[in-house]
Amino acid sequence: MTAVHIEELTKAFGAKKALDGISLTVEEGEIFGFVGHNGAGKSTFIHTITGVLPTSSGKITVLGEENLDNVKGCMGIMPDTANLYEYMKGVQFLKFMGELKNDKRTKKDYYSLMEAVGLGVEGDKKIKDYSFGMRKKISIAQALLGNPELIILDEPTSGLDPESSIKIRQLVKQLQQEGKTVFLTSHNLDEIEKISDRVGILKEGRMEKLGTPEELKNVEQEKLTVVIRTEPVLEKEDVLQMEADAVFLQKEGPNTWLEVETETLIPAISKAIIDSGKQLYEITPKKESLEDIFMNT
Amino acid sequence: MIALAKREFFDSFKSIKSLLIILFTTVVSWQTAQYLSSNPLLIQEAAVQGKESEFVTAVTAFMVIALGFLFVFSVSHDIINKEIESKTIRLLVTKKPRSHIMLGKFLGTLLFWVAIFTISYLVTAIIAQVWVTIEYLKMVSFLTYIVGMVFLVSTLVERTKLTMFIGVFAGVLLPILGIASVMVDKWWMTVIEYLLPYTYTEKGFLMIIPFLMGLSFFFVATKIMNRKDL
Repeated sequence: MTAVHIEELTKAFGAKKALDGISLTVEEGEIFGFVGHNGAGKSTFIHTITGVLPTSSGKITVLGEENLDNVKGCMGIMPDTANLYEYMKGVQFLKFMGELKNDKRTKKDYYSLMEAVGLGVEGDKKIKDYSFGMRKKISIAQALLGNPELIILDEPTSGLDPESSIKIRQLVKQLQQEGKTVFLTSHNLDEIEKISDRVGILKEGRMEKLGTPEELKNVEQEKLTVVIRTEPVLEKEDVLQMEADAVFLQKEGPNTWLEVETETLIPAISKAIIDSGKQLYEITPKKESLEDIFMNT
Repeated sequence: MIALAKREFFDSFKSIKSLLIILFTTVVSWQTAQYLSSNPLLIQEAAVQGKESEFVTAVTAFMVIALGFLFVFSVSHDIINKEIESKTIRLLVTKKPRSHIMLGKFLGTLLFWVAIFTISYLVTAIIAQVWVTIEYLKMVSFLTYIVGMVFLVSTLVERTKLTMFIGVFAGVLLPILGIASVMVDKWWMTVIEYLLPYTYTEKGFLMIIPFLMGLSFFFVATKIMNRKDL
């Protein structure tokens, strides 16, 4: 079943289009990662699909319903920019949020939930005394109330220490194992690549790329970059003289970057370097990361 | 919706302003009732004129009519825009439909104000041994109008400081305008007379009109809220 289906979603603020014709389908049980530069429209996208912002045009279907009001109880949302009720204590806040979701758990269960997101007993003080990381954690906790089928997390790990980030990533994976759909945005591309089944790259309100991390990398890697360390260093002229199908990209210190059609050409390049009398120390195909793809988008 | 109404109701009691208002209304009612019970002749004289009930409930009615706008605006002016300003509204709208949020808050706020003036009304009624349902319903109708208007202002104006200013201004101006409009015979005053709730309180069954107007303000506020970017 489809968890989220979006057709030609547009959101304009005056003349400026923050989202411009986005179409997307997220399947049930999937972890979908959304990345984009600041101002690319990630948060606007989340706000429109969660009912915080009315859409300008387009169609949104969540868990089979076009009227979002009918499925709010099945969605758990952590908005990035929402403030919390400062005067409440951690458990009091979760209890209030839980009541809105008809969540019937006991006080002990709320403590377990705080523990699960890494808050622990320390979380039961007034929210105004929380650190930034603790606020993030309790925001995530409130998104998990009411046993939602679809969980939407806007920048869940930004500002968290590495240990807490790992805990949240494990939690996201665990939620997927429980059959839940997770939709998350992040600036941490390494994190998105590690945990997401599919990734969407948003640029200036448009969906620039969409696919699994591997698909995205394969599309980008029609040509392969190879890093070569030789003594003396390999110059542009040396590459031109080689009878291998390689293009000089750049040189830095003892390393030279070449672009080749396929990985199968590497032995031929190695042989050509050795035949030219240079000492070959290293030849490594450079795998592109999601970060490289993102930076080139 | 019930959770929101409950929170709104109980949280309203927690501010210094509301505690002072509760203290003020209760003490005034108490003192008046004490005075009336120690001067039974006053009630008897009013009874001769057939105005016993109005006489006994006059203090609470005066507090609602003259100070109601000021009291409600001063405590509840930021009922909606506080949530928008602090962005806590985003936590709410991702969990409940906007209309439920509005209804929950409206009911919680209305109940709070009705409760405060009911206490005042009860104090007088118990000590003076008089209970007048019709006067009580008039008070509820009047309060619904005020709470509805405060709701609309809080939804229309997004800055809490501005609604505080508007509230103090309206709290002083509207009772003066309302009472003057009932007394002055000018066409433009007649328009004001029918827009404000004062005239209806003395017109029998028409006392329901402020109640309906208050509900209309609430519905307009909800319509506006449904279209808002939060």
